Amino acid sequence: MGPGEELAERFRDGDEKALRTAYERHGSAVLVLGVRLLGNRADAEDVTQATFVAAWMGRETFDPERGSLLGWLLGIARRKAVDRLRSAARDERITDTVRSQPVPTTAADSPERVVDRLVIADELNRLPSEQRRTLELAFFDDLTHPQIAAVTGLPLGTVKSHIRRGMANLRRRWEVDGAASGPRSAGPSLAR
Amino acid sequence: MQHLDPDRLVLLSLAEEVADDHESAHLAGCATCREELRTLEHVAELGAESADMRELPPPPESVWAGIQAEVARATAPAAPARRRLRRTPAGDRRRWLAPVLAAAAAAVLGIAGTAVVMRGPDQPPAADVTARATLAPLPSAPPDARGDVRVLADDEVVVDVQNLPLTTGFHEVWLIDPDDTTKMLSLGNLPARPEAVLPVPPGTDLNRYRLVDVSDEAHDGDAAHSGKSLLRGTLTY
Repeated sequence: MGPGEELAERFRDGDEKALRTAYERHGSAVLVLGVRLLGNRADAEDVTQATFVAAWMGRETFDPERGSLLGWLLGIARRKAVDRLRSAARDERITDTVRSQPVPTTAADSPERVVDRLVIADELNRLPSEQRRTLELAFFDDLTHPQIAAVTGLPLGTVKSHIRRGMANLRRRWEVDGAASGPRSAGPSLAR
Repeated sequence: MQHLDPDRLVLLSLAEEVADDHESAHLAGCATCREELRTLEHVAELGAESADMRELPPPPESVWAGIQAEVARATAPAAPARRRLRRTPAGDRRRWLAPVLAAAAAAVLGIAGTAVVMRGPDQPPAADVTARATLAPLPSAPPDARGDVRVLADDEVVVDVQNLPLTTGFHEVWLIDPDDTTKMLSLGNLPARPEAVLPVPPGTDLNRYRLVDVSDEAHDGDAAHSGKSLLRGTLTY
């Protein structure tokens, strides 16, 4: 059982320390998603707070078999943010006031895409360090495999196998936790 | 027909190498490999885009304080009534009001008396005091500013302050963990009278959150501590 799974179990079992740990580990991801969806920090902080409270109250509905704790939290945060946008839109119609910021709607910044990035970033952070390092060099520094081998001092064959395994891990995580992953465990009706 | 080597697909997805003629022909005719490559390319794109999602700043501490308070509220049994100041019989209210208003005015001027003056003789005896703190002024407060804090057995805190400087905002009472001063929770605002009775959120660990802090807060909609502490003192038992 990895550290993520163990945390998820403790969270589900109602261990308050697990709530704090989950917040320390995932609070910033939830906040970032809120900022991207709502366009302002104050609302995003409210949504972050509401998300963790709802998750805690609805923790028994969290099913670790169906996705990670982060994926579940991001699912709750999305619904909280959408609820807030709807009520803001309602207020706007009634009071005719203008919302402070437009909500980003471009495909690159779509909620799904932001969730996917957060999930991938989380998985990248969890990979064994050499796998992570080689993927970082490939993704962020755009290095070729031979260049990565030169930079890290690892044999080329090792670099290739790290990249292959790392990509397989990211892909598996994305398929389980990504925004487009079918019916998911993000749906406790309590946690709305 | 043999599918393309998974390792080759990873290389192609990272645009590390370009598909040769044989591979291009295979991809054109094989939906499975095409889908596989498309998925890997998407993951690689997300990987590259995840760069700015890796070292995210944590939310402000007020968010955690809010979570704790809401969780505590939701899990605690219904709190007992906390209307200490309204225990005075109704008939006494008017007679009682004038000195209160005077005291409130005095508090605004920063020369408040203490609560003892306000207590009617028919007040029920105070609940047992379980902890106390004497608040001393920080450099930002006048040297004669001071305060006294009593924690009562029924989870209320009585805060009695004197000579606080005038504020255009309000004064707020906090409990801080002295071992990690980023950890704090708000007890509430001080009303414009010398003595305030504030409920302690259920489940609060007063051994940990034992540093009492009175701050000057602006009406700026920011629920976090302003950083302008006026008085501080540590609870002792």
